[in-house]
Amino acid sequence: MTEQVEATALIDAVAAFLGEISPALEGRQAFHAKVAANALAIVARELAQRPQAAEAAALAGFLGHNAGLDALRAELCGRLRRGQVTPETPGLVEALTAAVAAKVAVDNPRYATLARINA
Amino acid sequence: MDSDRCARLTAILARATGREIAVASIVALSGGASSATFAVEALRDGQPWPLILQTAAAGAVPEGSLSKADQAALQMLGGRHGVPVAAVVAVLEAGDDLGQGFVMERVAGEALAPRWLRAPDFAAARQKLTGQCAAVLARLHAIPLSEAAGLALPTGRVDTARERMFAHYRSFKVDSPVFDLAFAWLAERCGDAEPSAIVHGDFRSGNFLVDSDGLAAVLDWELAHLGEGAEDLGWLCVNAWRFGIWQKPVGGFGERAELYDAYAAAGGARVDKARAHMWEVWGTLRWGLACLQLGDDHVTGRIPSVERAAIGRRVSEVELDLLHLIRFGDI
Repeated sequence: MTEQVEATALIDAVAAFLGEISPALEGRQAFHAKVAANALAIVARELAQRPQAAEAAALAGFLGHNAGLDALRAELCGRLRRGQVTPETPGLVEALTAAVAAKVAVDNPRYATLARINA
Repeated sequence: MDSDRCARLTAILARATGREIAVASIVALSGGASSATFAVEALRDGQPWPLILQTAAAGAVPEGSLSKADQAALQMLGGRHGVPVAAVVAVLEAGDDLGQGFVMERVAGEALAPRWLRAPDFAAARQKLTGQCAAVLARLHAIPLSEAAGLALPTGRVDTARERMFAHYRSFKVDSPVFDLAFAWLAERCGDAEPSAIVHGDFRSGNFLVDSDGLAAVLDWELAHLGEGAEDLGWLCVNAWRFGIWQKPVGGFGERAELYDAYAAAGGARVDKARAHMWEVWGTLRWGLACLQLGDDHVTGRIPSVERAAIGRRVSEVELDLLHLIRFGDI
């Protein structure tokens, strides 16, 4: 244990606090409290699932070499913009699907397209 | 302040109608990114006259949006061609000191799509809606462009519009390989057609007023432009407007085949499926750029908001929908 209070424990504490105050809120503030709770849940999943590692692995597999995620994204976008990679390039759509599925599993795991694309 | 605004609006409505008017209240309903909407309780010759005031948020109209005066004029033009719209009552003028805006009659109906898409008492309305949307779009797209000549509708070839959208994407300095893939996919297919129709530009479930007979009014004309009619059909089928009822591709309530058949039966062009699919990819990408815009509003500090920050994280949903559309031909 590196910290007595881990990041996940802080998230749980804030989520519990939001749950405590939200019944007293109305209208816009009540809605924003719900949005805030969802945002916290995204953070918790991101810490647990590390989707950026999965995305980097998928992009590196397609491009054939390792680099940081920002560099991999920039390289692939640049190749698409220059037409060196096209929508028809074998393996591209599959690699991007793996990368994006990892992100959606964090951002909105109940999103229907996620279950459909994994089926 | 509020009584001052009521007095000013009373004068505007009296000028526009030549009747005896009294505005009792102006209540804010919602503040969108570019518009503010108010419920106005007025009396006309002593009788209750429920109205809606729509003004440009903070007095400004964003790029790519119509001025409120043109929006009102277009709404009236659509109305004359059989598109169900709220009747425009008055257009604000510079000297009115209320900013850009216009006043329209308040049409009864349900505006909350998640409600009318699911509530049992709207079941009969939902049955009619696909055919009604198709007929309304066919009428809108049949309006001769010459009738809109006086309006500053954005216009341009399809490939130019794609390039504009790409420049918008690049302005966020975000690298999304899926968005670049979609732009490349569109470039292979979009062609370079000149505009042939008035396109509503935001024809989706969230912009309908629905009553027990179905489509009561089409709202929010501010993104109208000249283009290809099929763009409206594609936008109506974007997954985000199905509010979770993804099995019904037309706005969460209908099937594509019925929409296309009814559109042709009402005088619209026969819909080419590949073309409609192209416009669905286009529309999905456009919604993705809107998510980027909202996220950008937050991270740049322009409009700090937990809601906008959270919508920024919906980019990944859009990316997955784009991949599904491109891989499997539909979503």
